Amino acid sequence: MTEFDAIEILLVEDNHNDAEMTMRALQKSNFLNKLLGVEDGVEALDFINCRGVYAGRDPRQLPKLVLLDLKMPRLDGHDVLRALKSGDETRRIPIVVMTSSSQERDLAESYRLGVNGYVSKPIQFTDLVDAVAKIGMYWLLVNEAQV
Amino acid sequence: MNATVEGVLSANARLTGEIDVLKAELDGFTYSVSHDLRAPVRAVLGFARVVADDHGSALDEEGRRLLAVVQSEASRMGDMIDALLALSRIGREAMAYLPVDMAGLVYEVVAERAVQEQSLFDVGDLPGVCGDRVLLRQVWANLLSNAVKFSSRTPTPQLRVWATRDAARVIYHVGDNGVGFDMKCADKLFGVFQTLHRRARFPGTGAVLAMVKRIVHRHGGTVWADAQLDVGATFSFALPDEGTQ
Repeated sequence: MTEFDAIEILLVEDNHNDAEMTMRALQKSNFLNKLLGVEDGVEALDFINCRGVYAGRDPRQLPKLVLLDLKMPRLDGHDVLRALKSGDETRRIPIVVMTSSSQERDLAESYRLGVNGYVSKPIQFTDLVDAVAKIGMYWLLVNEAQV
Repeated sequence: MNATVEGVLSANARLTGEIDVLKAELDGFTYSVSHDLRAPVRAVLGFARVVADDHGSALDEEGRRLLAVVQSEASRMGDMIDALLALSRIGREAMAYLPVDMAGLVYEVVAERAVQEQSLFDVGDLPGVCGDRVLLRQVWANLLSNAVKFSSRTPTPQLRVWATRDAARVIYHVGDNGVGFDMKCADKLFGVFQTLHRRARFPGTGAVLAMVKRIVHRHGGTVWADAQLDVGATFSFALPDEGTQ
């Protein structure tokens, strides 16, 4: 049992300001308690696959929701999506892309890879709070996940 | 003689091709610049909001006023960036070219607005055209919301939508009895970020009509407006009539 076992939301975001904003937005909707922010796709997969600093983590404890940025160094959002949606266990983790991109090809590629939701990051903080609250409410409270 | 004509035609085709490439490049540039500008504006707005919410009590009244100015101007910049993104998207996206039920589109747009606004509209017969349904819907949404906005300070706003035809075109009109504008400024009307009225009276980024112009042009049409200050305005757009009813 490590401090990472109870993580419910994994936020994958390389822009520190955006990560802080999303965390504050989650906090405003009371979803902050079991959240972990990681900086890129490599760290996200390390967390899921219990590697590196997450080596001692219980692999059966998967996050209930992944909030995923697309444009990231080392391993981008589409690579993370591809990896998670092709794993027998990890494919059932709900993944919502939160990106600045509203490009049709990013949207199409995300859905092709099996994303569960796609949200363009709103420019206004109140809209971000609203969006994040809805995402959290649906995936963590309303939706019945496969166990 | 024939060789000369052919030469001119091929030069013309080459120039048109070059213009298309340049237009696509410009749209791509607008998209990436506005896209990249969104992140810092989002941070300014977000952190300013955090200062206001969590540290507002540490500021005096003047400090809070100045912070509110920062927030409102950053917000306006955000709206302008989003408008530029929307504009560049119109230029870049592939267009469907199918028969479109224009009357259906207008009723759809009207139904989306508040019920009390619905009764303001008098919608006449509107022939269909060939075009991109999503883009043409945007034209109606923009023209109708524009008409609603600029007649909102009129005691009894009246909005009318109708169509006429000439030899080769269907011409659609949206008329209102709102504030109108001075026809001397008509050439500015369809430019990006152009507003003919004070922002405090009628808030907006001034991209709504620029978007209309772009969409209508992509359909091979034209758009114009007639108005009289304090009497009302009529916006018209003409699209090639290809016999779709």
